[in-house]
Amino acid sequence: MSPAVAEQPAAGLTETLVGFGRELRSAGLPVGTGEVMTLCAAMDPLDPTDLLDLYWGGRATLVSRHDQIPVYHDVFLRYFLDAPGDAPDPARPFTPPQLREARSALQLPETERLGREREEERAPLGLVASDVGTLKHKAFAACSTEELAALRRIMRTVRLTPPRRRSRRTVPTRSGRRPDLRRTVREALRTHGDPAVLLWRERRLRPRPLVLILDVSGSMADYSRALLQFAHVTTRATQRVEVFCFGTRLTRITHELRHRRPDDALDRAARTVVDWEGGTRIGASLDTFVREHGRHGIGRGGLVVICSDGLDRGDPALLESALARLARLSHRIVWLNPHAGTGLAPSWAMAVAAPYIDAERSARDLAGLEEFARTLAALG
Amino acid sequence: MNPRPDSVAGLTEALRGDGYLADRGLATAAYVALSLDRPLLLEGEVGVGKTEIAKALARVLGRRLIRLQCYEGIDTHQALYEWDYARQLLQIRALSERDLADDSAVDALFGPAFLLERPLLDAVRAGDSAVLLVDEVDRADDEFEAFLLELLSDFAITIPEIGTVAAERPPLVVLTSNRTRELHDALKRRCLYSWVGYPDTERELAIVRARIPGVDERLARKVVAAVQRLRDLDLVKAPGVAETLDWVATLAAVGATGPEGFDAATIEDTIGAVVKDHDDLAVVRERVHELAAGGAPYVPRSG
Repeated sequence: MSPAVAEQPAAGLTETLVGFGRELRSAGLPVGTGEVMTLCAAMDPLDPTDLLDLYWGGRATLVSRHDQIPVYHDVFLRYFLDAPGDAPDPARPFTPPQLREARSALQLPETERLGREREEERAPLGLVASDVGTLKHKAFAACSTEELAALRRIMRTVRLTPPRRRSRRTVPTRSGRRPDLRRTVREALRTHGDPAVLLWRERRLRPRPLVLILDVSGSMADYSRALLQFAHVTTRATQRVEVFCFGTRLTRITHELRHRRPDDALDRAARTVVDWEGGTRIGASLDTFVREHGRHGIGRGGLVVICSDGLDRGDPALLESALARLARLSHRIVWLNPHAGTGLAPSWAMAVAAPYIDAERSARDLAGLEEFARTLAALG
Repeated sequence: MNPRPDSVAGLTEALRGDGYLADRGLATAAYVALSLDRPLLLEGEVGVGKTEIAKALARVLGRRLIRLQCYEGIDTHQALYEWDYARQLLQIRALSERDLADDSAVDALFGPAFLLERPLLDAVRAGDSAVLLVDEVDRADDEFEAFLLELLSDFAITIPEIGTVAAERPPLVVLTSNRTRELHDALKRRCLYSWVGYPDTERELAIVRARIPGVDERLARKVVAAVQRLRDLDLVKAPGVAETLDWVATLAAVGATGPEGFDAATIEDTIGAVVKDHDDLAVVRERVHELAAGGAPYVPRSG
């Protein structure tokens, strides 16, 4: 520790840390006053003149998700290591050797870069408003902007009841298979220790997780916005829902759809999905889903809903192996197809998928989606 | 109880003495958690030593390890406390038969003698003489997470029949998650966060040396190189450090204790210790010769 720094009043450090917090906030991390206070407190047992202590202390206190690490890393390097010019900066009193040493020590492992690359791949794309109709039976593809807006309002009233399964958690019931000793003993106290009534517990029912995988590629563009709206309704209706979009590749948009008004959420989701109207690779996208998300437990024992017309340009073998894996992982697979029941010949992808899917439903118009929502509970 | 290390380096050194090699990030997070009495949340891939660090911290700090393994449907009765109903019933019967059921006897029914302590109550009572490991918290459900959040903020438990039990100084709490689902923001905000990744070659080699004393250096190097190579293949389940250690132990069990024992045939026979997915096995079997040869030169993963 250099003497000049040791004499520096603590207020200077606090200011620096607050500034760092502000930088992180503007880079999109949810860093509030509480987190900055924790960081300041953490610097007390640590050594704030040691850049590595600063880095790791900050990372432990300000980062709360794996995908925030690359952002934190960049902001830290920019804020603490790229001090402008030779002028001594009281906020960052580090000597060039210290900076050099820190720079070489702070290399982000390849595995933690994933988040950043995905971030970079994102291209700004505005939401192109599309058409839908007030008529429930008008195909989404044939509706105007006003009709789309009206349809969204109707969609908000769609109620979803996902299928349920028995949970390991129990609730008191009048009859059942497991005696409820806790309540039985309490009751027994009234009758001088005679367990006169036996009380029971039963396993509770919980909604199964729901995973929506939406095709937003060119051939589905007319339907995908309606499907996104549907996904948004679903996100609000049940807690355990995950939403993904795919075209040439797969993107998770659950976060974008949560905590937002539908229009904002759609806007953000549209910007996240770079391959909007690009092309379709169902097999590769489902494979990504199974590998990256499925193995982390998303969709395990759940209901997976794939919305696509099945016009795929990818490899049939890949689609088949991905679906086989998905079928083992999930409880049921439902395919929502805008062309279902329209008399069009099924695509080859649908033929490959047929053995693995449990039901095919129509996603051509609102009536189809409502029908799907109504029969959802029965799919369990 | 051992004295608390007074610096990050001190803690790292103490952990190393115990056979746990923590990197700077993990050691800093653990040290800050200790200093600020905040829970430490560890996320990372399976088999990278998230649970081990809690055990190592307990040994290094000379504290008792209290482990709560989370599972689906875990509730307060399994995590906090439960009354011993069978004994209570017997006691009630005994009291009423002998006509002894006065007020104090009834009070005693819900007294310490009939209370079954579960890990969380145990940890609150033990206070800073314990390390509480809440393992795989992502397996528990939302309700339990909310309850845990409440407990972690004030370390006090109220049992209606007995009163409030509070920790004077909270235990060191380590939570681990395999990210099968996203934890609630409020819980995360309460905790210090550390991501435990796969170690690089040198660190993994050091871990093998520390955990399996007397292992042949060249064999260890080969095994670690092979595992690192496996992680670069696009496997469904990439092997963790636990798998590396298993593999070395398995090789020893089949008599391959030197580098020459690490040949294609032996790899083929023992690969089950490392690769535990049917599809992955097919991918790896095609490459056993490459693995035996020491693996291809290390190519950094690119996007």
